[in-house]
Amino acid sequence: MGDEDSQPGEVTLARPPGGVGPYARTGTELSGRADRDPPSPAGRGAHAPHANTLPRGPEAGWKGYVNDVWIGGAGMTRFGRRDEKLPDLMAEAALAAMADAGIDRPDAVVVAAMNPEEFTGEGNYGSLIATRLGLSHVPALRVETATSSGVAAVYMAFAAIAAGLHRSVLVVGGEKMTHLATPRVSEIIGRSIDPHEKSYGTTMPALAGLVTRAAMHRRGLTLREISQVAVKNHAHGARNPYAHFRDPVTLEAVMESRLVADPLRLYHCCPISDGGAALLLTVERRAVRIAGIGQGGDTLAVRYRRDLTSFRATQAAAAAAYRMAGFGAERVDVAEVHDAFTPFELISLEDTGLVPPGKAGRATLDGETAIGGRLPVNTSGGLKARGHPLAATGISQLVELCWQLTGRAEGRQVEAHVGLAQSIGGLATNNWVTLLEGRR
Amino acid sequence: MAETLAASRCPRGRRLVVPPASRCPDHPVRMAAAGVAPLGEVVSFTTLHSPPEGFRAPLHIALVELEGGARLFCHGDETEGVKIGSHVSVEAVDAIVYFSHMGFADRARLFWRRAGARGERRASIGKSVVKGMWSRRSRGND
Repeated sequence: MGDEDSQPGEVTLARPPGGVGPYARTGTELSGRADRDPPSPAGRGAHAPHANTLPRGPEAGWKGYVNDVWIGGAGMTRFGRRDEKLPDLMAEAALAAMADAGIDRPDAVVVAAMNPEEFTGEGNYGSLIATRLGLSHVPALRVETATSSGVAAVYMAFAAIAAGLHRSVLVVGGEKMTHLATPRVSEIIGRSIDPHEKSYGTTMPALAGLVTRAAMHRRGLTLREISQVAVKNHAHGARNPYAHFRDPVTLEAVMESRLVADPLRLYHCCPISDGGAALLLTVERRAVRIAGIGQGGDTLAVRYRRDLTSFRATQAAAAAAYRMAGFGAERVDVAEVHDAFTPFELISLEDTGLVPPGKAGRATLDGETAIGGRLPVNTSGGLKARGHPLAATGISQLVELCWQLTGRAEGRQVEAHVGLAQSIGGLATNNWVTLLEGRR
Repeated sequence: MAETLAASRCPRGRRLVVPPASRCPDHPVRMAAAGVAPLGEVVSFTTLHSPPEGFRAPLHIALVELEGGARLFCHGDETEGVKIGSHVSVEAVDAIVYFSHMGFADRARLFWRRAGARGERRASIGKSVVKGMWSRRSRGND
């Protein structure tokens, strides 16, 4: 490895280790159809990983996949405090998705669960869920990328169908958490933090607090703006029968709720929820197509990042998804973003290019991102109100978009043809952006 | 002010990390040993009101950027008066690094050292004044 630090777009002969295949597309390389990439975020490149050198794009005879992938069916459980066991919650969602698709014998099952070993004491979740569903003869596996595990599973299923390995794949994700005390849940989720940083007592809320304060200082986010996200998403959740929280909250209640990790308050944070969500992906032409899906990564250690106030992993995922779809943010009508902490919704809207830099807070205060606004965001209530059963979350975002694109989002329906979902894994170490397109 | 903190530097990307690490997060190479002065600026900070087991509430945590660009997590006795951009010194006590405000004398000494040769001092003073005015102005927008 004799080459110096490679710059994005630079042609080098050294092939990065393991940098081939679909993952290579989601790196920071900026070659190919640059006109379709969102604006390149500032401040990148100083620590750019090696540019991938394999030719890609239509001009290289490589469009990225073989088969179009369609969502044949979608289903989810009501999120919240649930008495059922995790396999039962996953089965409820999976059976709903299979019934919706009219397919009860998928070629494969992909299961997403972030940490059932610790939360429920059960393991071997691929086989466990396949057997619970009466699909024990169907190949099953489990996928994990921390809190974005659900979309990682969707990606595996997408890849299998896109490549022609399978014709239909069931994706199901879920988590059961509410039976444990909050400190124990925090501790389990906290295992996705860099071990050194964790040894300083950092938790997800602590890291989010650091991000929030930096974003307020450098990007001018205000307490009112991040609080309004909670108000909006609770109002949306009140219209969603699947949501954990069905009660609206006032701006005052949010701004006066107790401090969790200064400046983050309780109502800026998503709840601990149980639930499951599922999709049945198929090569058959159906109502909704996965137009683009992209993954982006960043350092596990937050101290290794140059910028706290935007997430490189989201930017890379969005660039990859837009490139695959062949269109950009301008075509998105509705979005589900990862508001585990309400400032993350504002950061994510800007990282995905849905809202110009520095405008997300204002857009929220102006009602642009509410149902009825220019770009409805988190019509389901988001993680904030729909709830956040970790590995179910990313899939449930796509379930909501599916319902929105097919006119089945009762009580909260918006006019939409293209939807975007963004999912954050860990403290933005492993993020995903997915674009769904409804058939006209 | 104490001696240097142990750090590592990537021979390829020049990235500096604290505490020392054997491998660079950006390149598949071994990092070289390095040292950094225990002085820096606060990048962000928070106070955790329900810290995990083994930590006392309230837990004050800061992310500090040291000279040379390495960032590290620190604990502090308080965050009263701390701002993003505050100059702090850091010190390791039993493997945990703590940050503390730098007194005026410390800051002046640091400034003088950074300013280097006499000819550059005047320019540095000018820069410092402008920076101070600028940060006061931008703080007004928060």
